[in-house]
Amino acid sequence: MNSGIEIETVAVAPLSEDEREELADSLKRCTEETREAAFQFRETGQLILLPVIILGIIERFLEPEIRPKLREGDGSLKLIDDLGIDSLTMMEIIVLVEESLDLSIDNEELRDLRTLDDVRIFLDAKIRNIPVPEKNKHFSVEAILAAIPHHVPFLFLNEVSLGKDEAIGSYTISGLEDFLKGHFPENPVFPASIMLEALGQLAVFYLVTTHASDSGQSVDPKKIFFTGCEAVRCQRMCVPGETLTLSIKPRGFRYPIAKFEGKITVNGETAAWAEDISLTFDWTSDSDNSV
Amino acid sequence: MSRVFVTGLGFISSIGNDEDTVVDNLRNLKHGIELFEPLQVPESPVKLAAPVKDFDVESYDPEDWVYPAKYKLRRETLRSFSPHVLYAYCSMKQAIESANLEPSDVSNIDTGIYTASAGSSRFLHKSLEKMYNRGIMRCNPLNIVSSVAGTVSFNLVSNFQIQGVSTGFASACASSGHALGFAFEEIRRGKQKRMFVVGAEDCNFDSIVPFAVMRALSLSTDPDSAARPFDKNRQGFVSSGGGVTMVLESEDEVARRGATVYGEIIGWGQASDGYNVAISHPDGRGLQNAMKLALKDAELALDNIGYLNAHAPSTPIGDLSEVIAMKEVFGPNTSPMISSTKALTGHGLSLSSLLESSICMVAYKHGFVPGSANIDELMQEAEGLNIIRKSIEERPEYIMSNSSGFGGANISLIFRSCQS
Repeated sequence: MNSGIEIETVAVAPLSEDEREELADSLKRCTEETREAAFQFRETGQLILLPVIILGIIERFLEPEIRPKLREGDGSLKLIDDLGIDSLTMMEIIVLVEESLDLSIDNEELRDLRTLDDVRIFLDAKIRNIPVPEKNKHFSVEAILAAIPHHVPFLFLNEVSLGKDEAIGSYTISGLEDFLKGHFPENPVFPASIMLEALGQLAVFYLVTTHASDSGQSVDPKKIFFTGCEAVRCQRMCVPGETLTLSIKPRGFRYPIAKFEGKITVNGETAAWAEDISLTFDWTSDSDNSV
Repeated sequence: MSRVFVTGLGFISSIGNDEDTVVDNLRNLKHGIELFEPLQVPESPVKLAAPVKDFDVESYDPEDWVYPAKYKLRRETLRSFSPHVLYAYCSMKQAIESANLEPSDVSNIDTGIYTASAGSSRFLHKSLEKMYNRGIMRCNPLNIVSSVAGTVSFNLVSNFQIQGVSTGFASACASSGHALGFAFEEIRRGKQKRMFVVGAEDCNFDSIVPFAVMRALSLSTDPDSAARPFDKNRQGFVSSGGGVTMVLESEDEVARRGATVYGEIIGWGQASDGYNVAISHPDGRGLQNAMKLALKDAELALDNIGYLNAHAPSTPIGDLSEVIAMKEVFGPNTSPMISSTKALTGHGLSLSSLLESSICMVAYKHGFVPGSANIDELMQEAEGLNIIRKSIEERPEYIMSNSSGFGGANISLIFRSCQS
């Protein structure tokens, strides 16, 4: 009986006897499950098989002690930081994925693949022959420093990932922040006001990086100021060693005001949120250069 | 000018994968030659080789390889190896242990590495075959670094975090002699405090059989008599592979570490035949000059040399030109003891010069001179040279070691014993 669930498929070129043998040889260090999924995919083109094949191939290249991480972790696992995959291993993985799925991948396309989800989403689009969904762009602390006027010791962003309608940043409380000496002696707690400041910095970053006037003028980083915030709630104390995951979403830009909502989590737990963070801004003008 | 001492050795060779086994085999003239399984096919005219024991590196896939458990390597390390790189790696581990070096002694800007290998024709061939059959982008991304000449340097420099000088030498059978000579110079001139010298070669169908068409190999099927340098009926060499590492250190480093020394390198000479791409000069012109230059560099008289480890691979032409060169240099009355240990080890090509220099070092340490095996009837031209057919329990003060490679590249190295 038909289950009624339609399994999505793509067109695939079936394997010849020789090709099947070659693929079996190439996949000989993968699990039986992975090999079977690859053969089945090359027969049926069922997209449901992709995650098994991709995870199976990645797993084959991991050192044995890392493998459980892949099994237990979710799509946010980072290829380099969490799984220890260097660029050469990435090339090995790609060569085997290409052979298994009968695809060709350009070097250019690999540049932004940072997490397991990135890989999965990328390959899914690739095999369907549709454009790869635009991925968040990643900014290092150097790139952040170059974009906004804030600086150490009053910068509360270590990295930022910029999407279409949001920015996600992170900041690890090192414990060396000067204000923690007084907030509080022998009991360092990251101040709620600084949490709001960190969200503000992320909003400034979003504004200068993405916003421009109709006539193409960019936002002048030196002319952005905080004006207010409707509501702030703090739900959790944050202490040294913890990493704050900050996110902001734009809630409307109307010159000279930009509004955002923001949220901070630590290990998935909400630490704080803020509504209607408002900034004033102005465009860069030619006259600035002539002063 | 600093004095230069040998403080560590590592052997992965046809006659043993540790110093004691190598010494025992040399002393008792036990060879490492066998009917080599990959050559037992009708299309191969050559049947014998002197392979490394306890390693199975026949597979094209390094993850299939079998090798002694104490050298256990991670996949990420092995993936850029070809067979001889594994030999080289293991010999280097052994040499570091032998020299008793701390990790900080190995990885610093004053410690470098010179290597010698011809690359892996087997891995190069296999990767190109795959490229032609399955497409350019379907190959192992590390094919090049695992197979081209230079692969030993690439892999050892990265794995041992070498920060000093590094390069590879390619002068065929003189390669590791060049590596050793130039490493000696680095320390002598005060540019490095410590040098690793590594020689390595594959030993498989692809590394051996191409020499058959040059008529350079022995076609004998008797492992006990095939390699017979200086014998009237020598027919050609028996191919070998493996990896050898030598640790050289400056006088200051030896003193600072309180290192035990095998011997001292006191000079070397190199000269070219300028004659033929593959045939040695009939009078051994380049080798004569190399020996003379080495003696001059070491400030020694002819009669100082107590033992000469000859290049003599057991080829009709090669042995003859060396015999003529040795007679020309040493004259009728001052012949040192002479032997070719290739009768036991086979000919390890790029590896051979360093293997033989290392043999000279264990000869010093253990107080013997290895004999020249398998001479039933000495070649007539060698009359007057003191070619020793048995090992002798003696420790000469000065030893010379010769090597010659394609294109007529010749090296002669001179060592001094540090024990009385």
